[in-house]
Amino acid sequence: MKALRHPALHWLLGIGLGAVFIYASIDKIEQPREFARIVYHYRLIGPSAALGFVPANALAVILPWIEALTGLLLVVGLWRREAALTSALLLMMFLVAVGWALAHGIDVENCGCFSVGGEGRAAGLKLILQDVGLLAVALVLALVPPRAQLQMPGGVPVPRLSNQ
Amino acid sequence: MSLRLGRVAAIVAGGMVLGLAWNAFGGRGIALSGNAYIKPGEDVVEIDAAEAKKRLDKGALFLDARPVAFYDMSHIPGALPLPEDDFDRAFAGLEPRLRNTLDIVVYCSGYGCEASHIVARKLREKGIHAAILHEGWPAWTDAGYPTKEGKEP
Repeated sequence: MKALRHPALHWLLGIGLGAVFIYASIDKIEQPREFARIVYHYRLIGPSAALGFVPANALAVILPWIEALTGLLLVVGLWRREAALTSALLLMMFLVAVGWALAHGIDVENCGCFSVGGEGRAAGLKLILQDVGLLAVALVLALVPPRAQLQMPGGVPVPRLSNQ
Repeated sequence: MSLRLGRVAAIVAGGMVLGLAWNAFGGRGIALSGNAYIKPGEDVVEIDAAEAKKRLDKGALFLDARPVAFYDMSHIPGALPLPEDDFDRAFAGLEPRLRNTLDIVVYCSGYGCEASHIVARKLREKGIHAAILHEGWPAWTDAGYPTKEGKEP
């Protein structure tokens, strides 16, 4: 448990998780129309006569930017815990969407995770496991506060003298 | 250092603002109110299942844009196969009839399926206007409307 609080670990995990989110957002930002179609595939928030197109299209437009912003904050280490919590909420949302698609027998050929063009990875069990893994990292960053580092006025960390 | 939920809200709100701004000014935006399968400026009529049923009862011609194997399994009674993946050949056989029909409705597998939009686009390029059944086959079967199995219309 002590290792989980090491500041260096948080720094590394933040960069790793942030890089994943930034990478995931690029293709979707570049091709919103293709991403919107993938959102349709999940049949969770439209388009449908009842819901209209708006939720699916709006999500396709907004989601990649929330991913990008979250990723950026994680990489630079600003608001790291809150950005990690945001990424955890996003990952839970993805898990619900994939679980929903699997439960309803919807064949989502391209999960829309990292790429929106032609060939993508299918939404399946492997994807769920990967999302759970990322979620674990995000939750560690969000819920386990790193050990505070004492700072000298010059900003140089002071080595701890005892193990308290 | 405690977790500040206000910052989480700020990140989400910031992403929303960036996303909407990029969509409005980035040059590749999509309409928030329309189907992303419809190209900007495209004149497409989408109808729901109830409207499609009304048109079917009035004698509209239905075209099944799905691969023929799906058509053979089950289709809307009276519909003719015009699969998107074999459009040119199927169109050649149907052309005289399509040119003499005023009310045409195209459908495919719904939701993520783009075939009906592609077929309707190709027909329009040839001067034939067709409406699209919104949500396609699932909307039709969910409404409990009749279906027919086999190769015969």
